[in-house]
Amino acid sequence: MTISDEALVERFPGQPITHDNAEHYRGRLDHRLLLGKCRSCGHWHSPPKPVCPQCWSFDVESAPVSGTGTIYMAVFLHQGPPAPGVDYSVPYPVVTVELDEQPGLRFTATVVGADNDAIRIGGRVRLSWIERAGMPVPVFELNEAAQ
Amino acid sequence: MKDQVAIAGAATTGFTTKNSGRTQTSFAAQAAIDVIRRCGLTKDDVDGLCGSWPAAHVLQSALGLSRVTWFGNPVIPLVDHVATAAAAVHAGLCETVLVYHAPYRAAWNTSGSLKDPFRRIATPGLSEPQPGPDTVAAGVGYTAWASRYVYEFDVKREDFGIVALNARANAARNPAAAMREPLSMDDYLAARMIREPLCLYDMDPAVDGGDAFIVTTTERARNLPLPPVLINAAVLGQVSPNEEDQTTSLRANGQQVVIDTLKAKGDFWLDEVDVYFPYDGFTPITLNWIENAGWCAPGEGGAFMRQHWDPAEGRVLINGRIPVNPHGGSLSEGATQGSGHIREAVHQLQGLAGERQVEDAQRALITAGGFFFNAQGLMLHTS
Repeated sequence: MTISDEALVERFPGQPITHDNAEHYRGRLDHRLLLGKCRSCGHWHSPPKPVCPQCWSFDVESAPVSGTGTIYMAVFLHQGPPAPGVDYSVPYPVVTVELDEQPGLRFTATVVGADNDAIRIGGRVRLSWIERAGMPVPVFELNEAAQ
Repeated sequence: MKDQVAIAGAATTGFTTKNSGRTQTSFAAQAAIDVIRRCGLTKDDVDGLCGSWPAAHVLQSALGLSRVTWFGNPVIPLVDHVATAAAAVHAGLCETVLVYHAPYRAAWNTSGSLKDPFRRIATPGLSEPQPGPDTVAAGVGYTAWASRYVYEFDVKREDFGIVALNARANAARNPAAAMREPLSMDDYLAARMIREPLCLYDMDPAVDGGDAFIVTTTERARNLPLPPVLINAAVLGQVSPNEEDQTTSLRANGQQVVIDTLKAKGDFWLDEVDVYFPYDGFTPITLNWIENAGWCAPGEGGAFMRQHWDPAEGRVLINGRIPVNPHGGSLSEGATQGSGHIREAVHQLQGLAGERQVEDAQRALITAGGFFFNAQGLMLHTS
């Protein structure tokens, strides 16, 4: 059953949910990472947009990505916004990952289950999920087997 | 529009990293009154207003400007304001624009600013739930690209550090600057990390203060007391995609549009520049501006600054003569969102820069803003 817009906003307090990205957030509830994809030309885009930036078709959907990719940028927050369960005493990793679906298509999230020293640009990752205050959050895990 | 519109004068209140007990309107009004008087004008001469903070109607009422025929509230950094005001003057929407900017320690920026209850009220949305840390949007974006810069060019932290040291050395010569005490490389390397790989000194400090400018026709400016500073070229450069994590690369963002446009439209380039103002809200922005402008090759910005470091002066002088952000930049004068860079350029070209004065300065290059939505360029000269 599709969750209502009102309920969706309640599940993701503080998140900038719009008519263009609501499906992306609905996907999070099912642990599916949905990004923008054009039904006409097949081009991916992120964050979700109302129109395909490549061909100007409005026939765009939120489609699941495999969640595998390569770390493109990596930041370690020694301080940051308050978030449940986030302790900056160990710097909090935030990585931008270039996804395997398309060159330049990227998604940003934290990394779990790895020492910060092991989180390096160029490293391979795969998608996983955690719960934070009842909110599903997409995260990456290092994908050593795929190095 | 080239050279048809001029900056007739500029003024500042100076900046502080303390809670000043004043509003943005107070600072904007002080700088505005100062620049209007320096330009030999009165409140009746101003028929245009352009700034972001406070809103134009608020400042108009505070200053009692009886009638304006045009006003605008563009978004920072400040080349937008100067360029938009110049276009309005050139189009005949108005003749004499007060361009103003009041940087402020908003309660977003620092925990110290939260101690001022009026500031909490003045910061919209402060009590709303915020997105968590799992993003590189906003300020974190520059740190993310700093990590990419380090990865692509295998540079050390000292390359970012020299930007901070140059800014601080210049600020020591600027009474308006908020941060004037000496900063060494050891101090830089020992500073606490905020968002690794960037530390405390890689980011500009939030400040209270104000800058103001008069923008009018060159013809009118020539009849005012101060030497006119002509707007030779201006550009706001942007590409798609431009989200922080989707931006294509360090060599394919708004900065390339700015540089290409300035070179195509302006009447001088690096060999003739007397003073250079690369934006420095974060140190990696400065290195990339230096590289993308063509002062040196990609990845060599830090090495370039070391090569042109003047030991006697304790700061960078390109080719022994061209200072880089002589006012101390955003890193040490304070986070002015570019108004300080433009104001100092005007003062340098008017011969009003005090002990910072570059001898016979005639041409200034300003490359403001960062990579994503705010890369801007401005070329100013005296004739």
